[in-house]
Amino acid sequence: MKRPLRLRLVLRDLGAGAAFGAMAVSGQLPLWVLGVFLLSLVLALCDVRLVARHSRLSALLLVIAAVLLGLRLTSGAMNAVVAACAFAGLISAQRMLSTPDAPADGQTHLTGLLMVAGGAALSGDMTYALCLIAFGVLASLSLALGVVEAAVPDGEPVPVRSVLLPLSGGLTFAVAGAMAFFILFPRLNWAMVGPRSAPGFGAVSSAGFSDTVRLGGAGTIKSNPRVVLRATLTPDPGREELDAYWVGRTYDTFDGQEWTNVVGALRTERQITLRPASDTLLHQRVELLPAYGGRTLVALESPSRLGNAVALTPTGTRASTVQLHGGGEVRFTITAPAYTYEAYSLPPDAKAVTASGLRSEERDQLLALPEHLDPRVAQMAAQVLNGEKEPLAAARKLVSHLQRDYAYTLEQGGPQEDPLADFLFVRKAGHCEHFATALTVLLRTQGISARLATGFFGGARMDGGYLVRAGDAHAWTHVFVPGRGFVTVDATPPSHRTSQGSVLLEKLLALYEAVEGRWRQSVVDYSFRDQFELASKLVRPPRRPAEATSTSSRLPPARAWVTAAVVAFLVWRLGRIVARWPRRALRLEATRFLDRVDAQLARAQVQRLEGESLEDLTPRLAREGHPLALALTPLTRRYLEARFGGRALREGEAEHLLGTLRRALEAEAARRTAEPTGQAGPTARAS
Amino acid sequence: MKAAARPPFRARLRALLRPPRTLSVTKTGRTYLVVTLGVGLGALNTGNNLLYLLLGLLLSMVVVSGVLSERCLRDLTVRRVGADAAFAREPFAYRWAVSRKAGHGFALTLSEDLSPLVGTGRLGYLPAGKELVVRADLAAPHRGPVRLSGVRVTTTWPLGLFAKTRVFSLEGTLLVYPRRGYACREPGQAETGPRGESGSPRHQDGTGDVAGLKELAPGEDARRIHWKKSAAAGRLLKVEREREERRIWKLALAPGLTGDALERQCEEVAAQAHQLLGAGHEVGLQLPDHMLRPAAGAGQERRILQALAWVGFEDVDAITKQEAA
Repeated sequence: MKRPLRLRLVLRDLGAGAAFGAMAVSGQLPLWVLGVFLLSLVLALCDVRLVARHSRLSALLLVIAAVLLGLRLTSGAMNAVVAACAFAGLISAQRMLSTPDAPADGQTHLTGLLMVAGGAALSGDMTYALCLIAFGVLASLSLALGVVEAAVPDGEPVPVRSVLLPLSGGLTFAVAGAMAFFILFPRLNWAMVGPRSAPGFGAVSSAGFSDTVRLGGAGTIKSNPRVVLRATLTPDPGREELDAYWVGRTYDTFDGQEWTNVVGALRTERQITLRPASDTLLHQRVELLPAYGGRTLVALESPSRLGNAVALTPTGTRASTVQLHGGGEVRFTITAPAYTYEAYSLPPDAKAVTASGLRSEERDQLLALPEHLDPRVAQMAAQVLNGEKEPLAAARKLVSHLQRDYAYTLEQGGPQEDPLADFLFVRKAGHCEHFATALTVLLRTQGISARLATGFFGGARMDGGYLVRAGDAHAWTHVFVPGRGFVTVDATPPSHRTSQGSVLLEKLLALYEAVEGRWRQSVVDYSFRDQFELASKLVRPPRRPAEATSTSSRLPPARAWVTAAVVAFLVWRLGRIVARWPRRALRLEATRFLDRVDAQLARAQVQRLEGESLEDLTPRLAREGHPLALALTPLTRRYLEARFGGRALREGEAEHLLGTLRRALEAEAARRTAEPTGQAGPTARAS
Repeated sequence: MKAAARPPFRARLRALLRPPRTLSVTKTGRTYLVVTLGVGLGALNTGNNLLYLLLGLLLSMVVVSGVLSERCLRDLTVRRVGADAAFAREPFAYRWAVSRKAGHGFALTLSEDLSPLVGTGRLGYLPAGKELVVRADLAAPHRGPVRLSGVRVTTTWPLGLFAKTRVFSLEGTLLVYPRRGYACREPGQAETGPRGESGSPRHQDGTGDVAGLKELAPGEDARRIHWKKSAAAGRLLKVEREREERRIWKLALAPGLTGDALERQCEEVAAQAHQLLGAGHEVGLQLPDHMLRPAAGAGQERRILQALAWVGFEDVDAITKQEAA
């Protein structure tokens, strides 16, 4: 058996790896499948074909794997797409490790194609595109080398470099063609939504909200740079750093160790109204990403209305109702990796907001203190406030005190019996939960209503919207001010409110997010609407701002000129190609005419110099006074006109000219025959 | 026997109406198209843009495959080199010369179009400006002149999804000799009577290799005297040479045979001629309408095979005979 080309097998296996990667980036495949495939890929790249000797055993293992996946599928632990993709990965692994013959090659490529298709159903990440292109390139190279290898005789080398060059050009055109098809192929529905719910690799759902906030917990989340939320605000603030509070829920009851709520689930609706709306609500279109990992809706302070939620599940998008819980928390009723929803918040300077939305149990808890509160806490509050009773002023005094005398740290000294006293009187250092708890409890000891709020602080500008990271998770205090309602007061030092992760890592992730955002906008969410807008932009110039219209010219925009130039170039090229055909036919006709003339001259044994053309022969014969020159001169002129001058030979003209030449040649032959030997007349340079 | 060499009218009509390129889908290509169709249906059904992207890539690859295969077949020049000898029902080496002015050619498969010749020649890579000879082991089902209308050049480049074929119109004739199997019968008696050296009772008066020197007996041919040795020995010595055992056979093809009987007879005579000529004898052939005079050597065998190949195809036109010769 002919030994297969090693490079082709490596390309084939790498292509299968890229196809598997298209599924694996979704993070939904079982870990054992991931391990089996990676191990198989490494063995295949090392040219270890285990299955070649144990094909029956491997087939049995495949059957067992199919049964296991089927059981998980029927038990509801795995959906059908994931199970099918996992099984395709296992088949591909088995094929890679089998004897590298033509059927195994074909099946490896086929499973690769199926895996890529499965990846499209599992993942909407940009990495999918990279895997898709990698698979296309690697599999095509492998296929092409296989085609050439099959035709090369045994023992002869496969011309790898010669294959790669033309194929690379072809692949470039294929990728460009795929993009053109993607852009131009009409979508049949308006809402084209690709998969976007894959949690991906390393997406530890750590930013979600729990029912309690326990002091003394680790503050590692502050160094997590993963993006958990994307939001588009209307009207757009336009600031690079939003530095806003994104509230998720509040807590009213503190037992000395942890914060809880007294009220549970209240009502379920499509849209929950928390506060009366005003005329100037801030609209937010929010997307919670898989790294968020919770079901609590988040909105800018102070949320008025939340709803119109869509859960992005692995099997598709589903509208979700929302449920109001105590502490102003609004939750999705469907569990999904990602969500989109709309929220409306009051502007920061809004007034006349009251606590009327609170239930009586919640209002009563706003002044509740832990049963065994350290008496030094109240003493400290009284000492700092020095008789100040106005809630907001008192809160600001306490904030100044805390920010001045207490340090921010993410390190914890372990579980404490009284973490608040430990923070205030022993360690004098803590993170946002300590600061917020301290301020809330200090205010309550002085009869000022307050509660703990949790959510995020920040908002980095990205592609016209804002994104929030897991490290932006934050806690702060709501102080109840009569006549104004709850006012946000933050005791945490300002420099430590946002994410505390590596700046370089955050920049890299921001860059990735920017590209990813473009990918989602341009590819995943591309729809007929976008196609329509694209066509409109090409046809009509975009609207200019009102102030610019008076000064700008009425000429079409640059893109219209570019489009017109491209179209003109294409038309010109097409015209050239079309025009070349009749000209080519003319040239061919003239060339055929020349061939017939040459044939006649050769038959008549007219001597010609080496490489002497007709246009050289004719003047030479004329110079020598040869009788043939009379017939050849008009014939040569007509040939040159037809060949280079664009004047085609008329119908029958070629025959007429050739007839004249034939008669002249016959006359010349007769004359030479009639002349006695040694008296030969002028010849065409006898040599 | 009818002139089977010329393709039937239907085949010629099909050749006339055939498009300049023919395309067939390979097994891999069928699978590819089915998957592409599935991805397309999935994209339309789900509205998943990534499936549209994948569909675009799959369709683009089909287009690129067509363009690259067309570039592979364009600017190609093919000529027949032919075969040294083609025998019916046994593989024989056949050659084509392929070249191209520009670009590259990959994975080319060559075969004779619309002919009963079975077999293909393969060429992995054809660079520009170089003429390469492609060898194929072809097989012909029967003896006689085979009319060749063109050369099929097929490529599955670049992905093996489609096999694109271009037919180069090249008229020609290949004369297929009868199969040389085992001769079941003896060739009969050789020509009797003294002729040349055959039939002489003496064995050392031939014209072959030198066997030795012997004193010249009275009455023997003085032309055999070795004068130098005789001078050295002081007596007349003659050169003795081995006599060649070359005989003459006249093979004959029985008249009035047709069909399989004729084929078997031709094969039998070809095998006998091959055997006798290989042993150094002279062989002639008596055919119903003409005769080949006895002669020896490879040239005579070729003449006999040609004569046998034409038996039953005497009504083929002169041009075909000239081409086949």
